[in-house]
Amino acid sequence: MSTADLVLLAWGTLVGVDLVSVPQIMIARPLVAGTIAGALLGDVETGLRMGVVFELFQFDILPIGAVRYPEYGPATVAAVAAAHWSGGPLALGIGAGVGLLVGILGGLSLHWLRTANARAVRAASAALEDGDVRTLRRVHVGGLLRDAVRAGAVTAAGLAVARLVSLLDVAQWSPGALVLTAAAAAGAALASGGTGLPRLVGRGPNLKWLAAGLAAGVVVAWIA
Amino acid sequence: MDRLKTPLAAAFLRLFTVQASWNYDRMVGLGMGIAEEPLLRSLRNGTEDGPAYRAAVARGAQFFNAHPYLCGLAVGATARAEREGAPPEQIERLRAALIGPLGSLGDRLFWVGWLPLLSTAAIVAIALGTGWEAIVAFLVIYNIGHVTMRWWALSAGWNAGMDVVAALRHPLVQRSLRVVLPAMALVSGFCLPLAARWLAQPVPRGPALGMLGVAAVGLALLRWRPRLVTGLRLGLAAVGTALVAGWVWR
Repeated sequence: MSTADLVLLAWGTLVGVDLVSVPQIMIARPLVAGTIAGALLGDVETGLRMGVVFELFQFDILPIGAVRYPEYGPATVAAVAAAHWSGGPLALGIGAGVGLLVGILGGLSLHWLRTANARAVRAASAALEDGDVRTLRRVHVGGLLRDAVRAGAVTAAGLAVARLVSLLDVAQWSPGALVLTAAAAAGAALASGGTGLPRLVGRGPNLKWLAAGLAAGVVVAWIA
Repeated sequence: MDRLKTPLAAAFLRLFTVQASWNYDRMVGLGMGIAEEPLLRSLRNGTEDGPAYRAAVARGAQFFNAHPYLCGLAVGATARAEREGAPPEQIERLRAALIGPLGSLGDRLFWVGWLPLLSTAAIVAIALGTGWEAIVAFLVIYNIGHVTMRWWALSAGWNAGMDVVAALRHPLVQRSLRVVLPAMALVSGFCLPLAARWLAQPVPRGPALGMLGVAAVGLALLRWRPRLVTGLRLGLAAVGTALVAGWVWR
């Protein structure tokens, strides 16, 4: 394992812990996770592009209550690594494929974490009902450590997949596949963002603001 | 009040970990108990954990669910009520009554408003040529709002005690909703065409048109079959199909 791998592993772990446990300052957002992963690899361009793609995928998710969702933070770190090792910004689609798979793994691991935390709470329920602060602290810190291990494991798995995919050398094998997968991933991300953002806006009075923004965006995209 | 600064600061810092032991049984309950505990220490008998203190800690760690940034409101209010010797049933009713409003307000203000507003604004900035600076600006501005809200929630709850519901009707909170939600809608709409143009830049014209085709078909599928087609499934299917097409094309 190289130094770059270890630094990415540490970053992915922090990103994974930020999502739910602490401190929720939004380094778990793909835009941030991806750009910093790119900077750590000396490839900010790939980080930014992958960050935007996964940010658009993220809009498809509303993390309310106990809802289950894919986890795109460590997934974006793995995606940036896969794209960087497979050819840079043009390997966007390869990175996105890896990231989406790691996103599923992250989502499953969150479910495992919540179940494991519930088991720990049940095991300590007598002491918790008795107001034992030491037990309360132990169970709470245990949850935090469990999440750190979970986030680290998901990132490690993601980086391993990214390394394996880079060994396939898709750029050499089929340059066309790089371009096509990049276009397909960007298209799917735009569809996710194009569905998720209007869902957030809803059908109420703010819909006219969305329409106004869309019209202005089309004009600016045309002339800029 | 001076004596309270340290426990209040400790509770504030602990609130950043409120979801660390999130679970299907008590949800954020344990995190609430951890955050509330420094504010309950005056119920102890010297260094001993007396029965009033233990009972209050146990109540604080019961089931609770709300938006994490607004949990402080409930932490402050219930801790104040415990210190003032409110009956346990009343404190439990207060906690239960706060779950819905705190969840709804926080979700609308942050998950639906502030976060997508700033995140789409960052995408716009990137698409118009700003680099990593857009990410730094996103993090700084977002967290000014985030940390301010956490502190306001805890101090408003602590000051209001059992009258905490009035804090939720604070004019600034209501005005924020009236500004943030339309702004989010406007910037979200503005962001999509610019993101499409920026993502298409490194791709040749043919595949770029294919990208728009995937986006159009994807939009239709996500709207018509929302239970079957998710963004993640669409992305995997699109990348998988493109990989096969690329293999045929070589």
